[in-house]
Amino acid sequence: MSTATATVRNRVLPSRTDLSVAVEPQRHSLLDEESRAWLRDLRSEGGMRDAAIARLHALLLRAARFECARRRPGLPHLRGNDLDDLANQAADDALVSVLARLDDFRGASRFTTWVYKFALLEAAVKLRKRSWQGREVPLEPETWSLFTSAGIEPEAEVEQSELLATLQDAIADVLTPQQRRVLVALALNGVPIDVLAERLSTTRGALYKTLHDARRKLRRHLDEQGLSVDALLEDAQ
Amino acid sequence: MERPELKQALGRLLGPAGPEVGCDVCFDELDRYVELEVAGRDADAAIPGLRAHLEGCPACREEHESLYAFVSGEQTL
Repeated sequence: MSTATATVRNRVLPSRTDLSVAVEPQRHSLLDEESRAWLRDLRSEGGMRDAAIARLHALLLRAARFECARRRPGLPHLRGNDLDDLANQAADDALVSVLARLDDFRGASRFTTWVYKFALLEAAVKLRKRSWQGREVPLEPETWSLFTSAGIEPEAEVEQSELLATLQDAIADVLTPQQRRVLVALALNGVPIDVLAERLSTTRGALYKTLHDARRKLRRHLDEQGLSVDALLEDAQ
Repeated sequence: MERPELKQALGRLLGPAGPEVGCDVCFDELDRYVELEVAGRDADAAIPGLRAHLEGCPACREEHESLYAFVSGEQTL
């Protein structure tokens, strides 16, 4: 365990970029006994704190290994050792984050549930980045094939072509260059948001805000063109 | 004619219709949301906009699925 000396530079927590919904955090909750004991031990000194940190690291490692095992089928090129190294790194980084944010724990959930999310996030982000390692991130549309179906009725084919043309025009005309790049990479080409954030030297929160604004603009534009998005989704069913 | 792949592609492109929280609020609230879900309570009423975000953000959706699976698995042990 290298957590005591680890720095926070690798933290992958989303940055704060709020969208339209304000969520009132739960101000106070009665902590359950187990959560209280965790906080007491982690805030103590000497051997009790060291023991609590070791127990916490073990919990985080279990969660990180769980995430690696879940994602393993999609990562055939990663060997067992690689995955275990990755789970250990994720647990180390999650421990640093948890200790740095201990005062943020409001008791809205059990302490263990709260810490698990740090480990799962760290592992998930590392796995996504690993699977895109060495790959070019496409910022231009790679394919529109998902928007076209072969063997459909002529009438549906005309509608499909019109929809595709409208979408392509809207993306080209109403979005800013940055909105276009982000929307195309994330929503069309399937680039994971953490991978794109790293390549563009920005944060996940900032990218999602850009994606959100681009989607809103597109919806509004389609609406103005007389195309109801809900009807489009309904028709596609 | 059913075209689920078109619906999925449109959904990914256009995102959720309703208001949603961002990735940061999602992360802050995820533990509470999952515990409410596991307890069979109305998590969506307690934390509005989070479900919509999960629909629009594949990364947060993956993390939600993992936390839900892990926590509910723990409870059945």
